Amino acid sequence: MTPNESISACSLRHRRAVRVIESFLLLMLAISIPLVVPIAARAEGAPNPLCAGCHMEDGNSVTPDFPKIAGLDAAYISKQIMDFKKFKRVSEIMGPMATQISDSEIDALAMYYSKQKRTPGVVTDKNLAEQGQLIYTDGIVNSAVPACSGCHGEKGEGTDKFPRLAGQHTAYLNTQMSNFKNIVRNNDARGVMRAITLRMTDQEMKAASEYIASLKGE
Amino acid sequence: MRILLIIALALLPTASVLAETPSDAATYQGIGSKGYVWNKLTPERAEALRLKGDMDRGREAFRGCRGCHKQDAFGRVDGIYPRLTGQYASVIIKQLTDIRAGLRLNPKMEPFISPDAVSVEEIADIAVFLSSLTTIKENGKGPGDQVRQGEALYVQRGCIKCHGSRGEGNEEKIYPALGAQHYSYLLREMELIKVGARGNSHPDMVVALKEISTADMEALADYLARLPDRRQAGMK
Repeated sequence: MTPNESISACSLRHRRAVRVIESFLLLMLAISIPLVVPIAARAEGAPNPLCAGCHMEDGNSVTPDFPKIAGLDAAYISKQIMDFKKFKRVSEIMGPMATQISDSEIDALAMYYSKQKRTPGVVTDKNLAEQGQLIYTDGIVNSAVPACSGCHGEKGEGTDKFPRLAGQHTAYLNTQMSNFKNIVRNNDARGVMRAITLRMTDQEMKAASEYIASLKGE
Repeated sequence: MRILLIIALALLPTASVLAETPSDAATYQGIGSKGYVWNKLTPERAEALRLKGDMDRGREAFRGCRGCHKQDAFGRVDGIYPRLTGQYASVIIKQLTDIRAGLRLNPKMEPFISPDAVSVEEIADIAVFLSSLTTIKENGKGPGDQVRQGEALYVQRGCIKCHGSRGEGNEEKIYPALGAQHYSYLLREMELIKVGARGNSHPDMVVALKEISTADMEALADYLARLPDRRQAGMK
């Protein structure tokens, strides 16, 4: 048993417990913030104060577990909300939230957040980001991982089908990639992200995330 | 002891069934299988050929291929992924539908070209889009000291009959254009065809390559990689 394995074996239960507590706290945060901020959010023109609670009025969440949604394509946002509503994308936080958004509201919401400007991301590990740049722009040849830039764009700008990644929180990116890998998230219409992440190690996903955080999207 | 033997014998057929993993061996219809026809018109290929591909839709659909084949379908100069720029639509359609039909085995590409990932319409669209691309960039070349030898082999071995005097191929007959392809890719595919591992190849290709040494294939690839793109060669 390597030191790493023994650490992971010993702390598995502990980590699970931490994860449960974390999820609970995030849920509490998600529920409580909208109760506090609606008036301010409405004043800023955000169509639904429910979203601003976590994603902020300008769609640039400051909590790394909540994604920045500013500047995502409107069609992409609409699809995700619909998927949350129909439980095609499962999230214990966004599931209940999405059910509170009426179908008629979705497009206006999506349009509003698509027009917000995304804030720059935070790179925490420069060396890892350098490694990630290779993966993002050139893929990983040995394990046949395509370059992220092929679909998401050289600058992480994205399209209506492939989300804008530039400046996203690394924690959120890591969670999503590992969710695809473990098929916890399976609403990538063509299974492409599941196929790609299956070929990636955790370290490679982390590296890609670090580089993505440095992208400006333009 | 005897009982054990009887039990073991009784279990033998079961064991052999279990050992025989459900491979594609039974359904494989590629080269080397009985009744193999290299250009057999599979239903999907017929459908893709019937559909009129659309350039703009093709550009959009090709986005999902760019992670490996790159922005202008140029592939990699190290030859790991081929240059598809300007390849004939008929050839693209045959390769894509053959991969889906399990004739050409390509596990790297499989998840990205499965029917879940790409529709038949999109195959037609991608083919039109790729065949129209004209970007010319420096492709992956060989050492360059065997070009004349490669040229001589190209004529002697009859490659010229199908692939043309300038490696331009033939759209109608589904013979790929070879000019300006990456050296390492040309070499790799020749080796695969030679041993029957490129499942959808023309039997004449296998025959031609069977008699050729690796050194000769290197010379051929050296020559072919230095031929111009078919449009540069004045071919349409």
